[in-house]
Amino acid sequence: MITKSNIIRHIAVALDCSPHSMASLTAAAEIARLMHADLTGIFVEDINLLRMAELPFCHEIRMYTTEPEKIDSSQLERSLKLQARAAHEALQRIAEKFMLKHSFRICRGMVPAEVILAAVDADLLVLGRSGRSPTCRKGLGSTAKKALTEGKKPVLLIRPGFSVKKWPLLVLYDGSDGSKKALTIALDLAHPGITLNVLILGETHEEGMMMELKLSETIIPPLHSIIFYHQLPLNNLKTLSRAIRLVDSGLLVLSENMNISREAVHKLIDEIDYPVLLV
Amino acid sequence: MAIPSKLTPEELYRICNPLEFSFNTTAELDGPVKTTGQERAFEAITFSMGIKQNGFNLFALGPNGTGKQSAIMHFLSDITPGAPVPSDWCYVNNFDKPRHPKALRLPAGKACSLSSNMEHLLEVLFTVIPAAFSSDEYQAQEKDIREKFQEQQAEAIGELEKNATEHHVALIRTPAGFAFAPEKDGEVLKPEEFMMLKKEERESIEEKIVELKTAMQSIMAQIPKWQRETQEKIKDLNRNIASFAVKPLMAEVRKNFETLEEVVLYLETVETDLIENFAQFLEKESDPRELIPGIFSGKFLQKGPAFNRYRVNVIVDNSNTKGAPIVYEDKPACHNLVGDIEHIAQMGTLVTDFTLIKHGALHRANGGYLLIDARRLLAEPFAYEALKKALRTRQIRIESLAQLYSLVSTVSLEPEAIPLDVKVILLGERHLYYLLSVYDPDFTELFKVAADFEDELSGDFDGKLTYARIISSIVEKDNLHHFDRSAVARVVEQGSRLAGDATKLTAHIQSICDLVHESDYYATAASREIVLADDVQHAIDAKIFRSSRISEKIREATLRNSILIDTESETIGQINGLAIYSLAGQSFGHPARITARVRLGKGDVIDIEREVELGGPIHSKGVMILSGYLGARFGIQQPLSLSASLVFEQSYSGVEGDSASSAELYALLSAISGAPIRQWFAVTGSVNQNGEVQAIGGVNEKIEGYFDLCKARGLTGKQGVLIPISNTVNLMLRNDVVAAVRQGLFSIFPVSVVDEGIEILTGIPAGELDKTGKYPPNTINGMAVARLTEMAEKLKIFNASSDDN
Repeated sequence: MITKSNIIRHIAVALDCSPHSMASLTAAAEIARLMHADLTGIFVEDINLLRMAELPFCHEIRMYTTEPEKIDSSQLERSLKLQARAAHEALQRIAEKFMLKHSFRICRGMVPAEVILAAVDADLLVLGRSGRSPTCRKGLGSTAKKALTEGKKPVLLIRPGFSVKKWPLLVLYDGSDGSKKALTIALDLAHPGITLNVLILGETHEEGMMMELKLSETIIPPLHSIIFYHQLPLNNLKTLSRAIRLVDSGLLVLSENMNISREAVHKLIDEIDYPVLLV
Repeated sequence: MAIPSKLTPEELYRICNPLEFSFNTTAELDGPVKTTGQERAFEAITFSMGIKQNGFNLFALGPNGTGKQSAIMHFLSDITPGAPVPSDWCYVNNFDKPRHPKALRLPAGKACSLSSNMEHLLEVLFTVIPAAFSSDEYQAQEKDIREKFQEQQAEAIGELEKNATEHHVALIRTPAGFAFAPEKDGEVLKPEEFMMLKKEERESIEEKIVELKTAMQSIMAQIPKWQRETQEKIKDLNRNIASFAVKPLMAEVRKNFETLEEVVLYLETVETDLIENFAQFLEKESDPRELIPGIFSGKFLQKGPAFNRYRVNVIVDNSNTKGAPIVYEDKPACHNLVGDIEHIAQMGTLVTDFTLIKHGALHRANGGYLLIDARRLLAEPFAYEALKKALRTRQIRIESLAQLYSLVSTVSLEPEAIPLDVKVILLGERHLYYLLSVYDPDFTELFKVAADFEDELSGDFDGKLTYARIISSIVEKDNLHHFDRSAVARVVEQGSRLAGDATKLTAHIQSICDLVHESDYYATAASREIVLADDVQHAIDAKIFRSSRISEKIREATLRNSILIDTESETIGQINGLAIYSLAGQSFGHPARITARVRLGKGDVIDIEREVELGGPIHSKGVMILSGYLGARFGIQQPLSLSASLVFEQSYSGVEGDSASSAELYALLSAISGAPIRQWFAVTGSVNQNGEVQAIGGVNEKIEGYFDLCKARGLTGKQGVLIPISNTVNLMLRNDVVAAVRQGLFSIFPVSVVDEGIEILTGIPAGELDKTGKYPPNTINGMAVARLTEMAEKLKIFNASSDDN
């Protein structure tokens, strides 16, 4: 039988006041409420910024100011403290709203490393797909990338506009242990009445059908929820990416220990612009 | 001189013979009421309504209640059905200048159609526009444009970042922008690490950072431009999508009005505005504070006032009008005439828009006829001026009075003026017409035609038949009992009485209408199906009784001798004059004692009423005429050596009119000649310097007033009244007076000259000059001359002795 595991008791969320991180905080709070978990906010004071401020030739280039300006260390310290306070207040507000047990930590260092380190005790790390990175890139931010490759799993990458409560879930299932775990955690996140999409990746159509049959017999869905099974013969990553977009679900739940290579999984996550829970 | 004969009963009351009528009851009369005797007024109306030039508006003048309005309405209802139906008018938003709403002219019945078309269009747009903007196609295109901007930005910065990384420089996001710093293995170098580098390396890094900064600055400078371009692209896309959604719907509406150039132009501006402001149709719910419950109707208006600008405010809807409109404005206040711009209080502020423009009577009557009561018009502040302005400029310009006079300081509108083509008919009393003609130079320019309604109708058969038809129409209209022909005859007789002329009928239709209603009441009370002459008589008597309190009080005071009126003896220098009292539309007559006294003097007649300022100018004039008469008659041979004084006894308020001047002259002649006057007579009539007795008003009431007193004291057969012979035609006396005359208990003498009257009053002939130029001694004139000669002698002696002393 595949049912809820309730393994997530402590959730860490990276906060930097960017829109992605605020979305992460909301998603983390929703999950914490759902699973009766604790919530820890992590704010990292970027050591690179502080070091740069001490270099005499480093200047700040602003979008609406013609001349670059010298970065003032003390001013930078002050603005980081203000950011931290804003992040803490945001955490307090949302924790009060969802009635959560919560804590807040401020670290100083390289952001990706400090986030991963601070979240080492957590059962789930939640962070934005991209943060305050300079290039406004479409794909993953540096912290998200590092969390994918080096961090503890599960990790949840969020983008603004997503709600755990309202959006359906999509689980990649290929019969591997990793995908079974992904399905279990997906059931943990599933509210009563939710739509659960399962994308079955079989070598052949027959294998896929077999997996679907087995799953439909063993899975215990949440109350009033609907499960849709989708079949996709696993050919290549592009097809998979297109299929995920076609299902157009909310949160994609997958494991890095599937029949697909780890790198391929990371690449897939980088390419698709969806919130992802990597187990 | 022969004294005139008493008037016969037939001369006192002109009977209307019911047998003159061919009908039995008014139920048999079903033809239209054709008023006779108003040909002059109808000619004026026909002329005014027919002439198209400016300023030939009409003033219908005549006393209230003469049926001017009904007659004009009746006349207009004959000519208007054939006239063309005027256009519809509506106000729409002026998208370029919202403070100046546009007026649109449409063929009759089309304005409402345009309004409902627009309502329907907007309702549909609330579905169509959101559908277009939530389509996959739009979402994909918009996303594509935004992503392109992101990519453009990311690409430029990414290139720079790559370049920086190659030279071991990190691009870092600062709280407010970007910065470059030397790095090693992804970490920014600490200052001490940087200083440990070779000088050349440090310089190279610093140079590189300067170069990167410059490059970054140029990218930063580009970003606003890219943002603008992206916004433009999105705007174009939105416009295209909105246009795609709006155009087919607008085309449908335009097709319905394709022949109306003005409307098509307006619809084009609506289309442009809809496309520009499509976003308002995407908002899910408007701010509840913007909603004004109870003010607006229509489904789409619930979306908020922003959508009002697409509404059509129908000012004039002639969809159900047949021919030219006839409008009677009962309350001609300024805003009811030219329209108004209303305001509503919203969040403590007064706001308005073109949908709050309210039409006036001029809008409704445009292309037709507008009837206004002149007195009410003049009583309304600014209304007359507003009407004149509209007629002078031939357009209706709506102006908020409060705004015009700075009573409220808030945003208001200046709606486009609407061309005016209307005939205005003012209804009013004569004095209003004459006052306006004298004091207002504009009036004669704008109201060039006067329809002067007669106060009386001819008393011939046509006039009587008109009365019968009027009674019939009142009965039909007010659902009363029909009148039999005797009742009609009685109403006709009362019409003559009200006209004060036995040969005429009053044109005061309101009085006739009241009499009809009152007669119906008594017929109903008597459970009759038909109103009879008795009911009419009952109504007349009851009305007199209801208003007779004061006359009875005066008569009672006279009977108790509180007011001294002698009706039995003969007295020198004392006569019964006849006064008339008018109170609240009711008149009654009553005798008043006039006395005259003479003494030695210089020939002047003192009017005591005038001396104490209780006499009006006409009364004073009448008394002065007496001096002229006496001078001419007795002052030719010798100067008048007397002074006479005249007084209305027991008069405690003003006396006006000259109807007592003959009575005063009789009293004077009696006083001078020493001949006593028979007090059982009463006298009315004015007199001129030649001694001719002239007509007076209220003869019936005066005779009846004296008759009532005599009757109360007991009719002796001697009592009577002297009236001017020219008033004989005015006699329509009460039945009891006529009956008394018939029985010889009361007399009425028509007098043409004073000499006739004095003979009746004294029993002594007045006397005429003989061949020697002298009056016979036993005549009034002879006695007067003798007395005057005696007084002259006395005066002469007195003057001589005074000179000696």
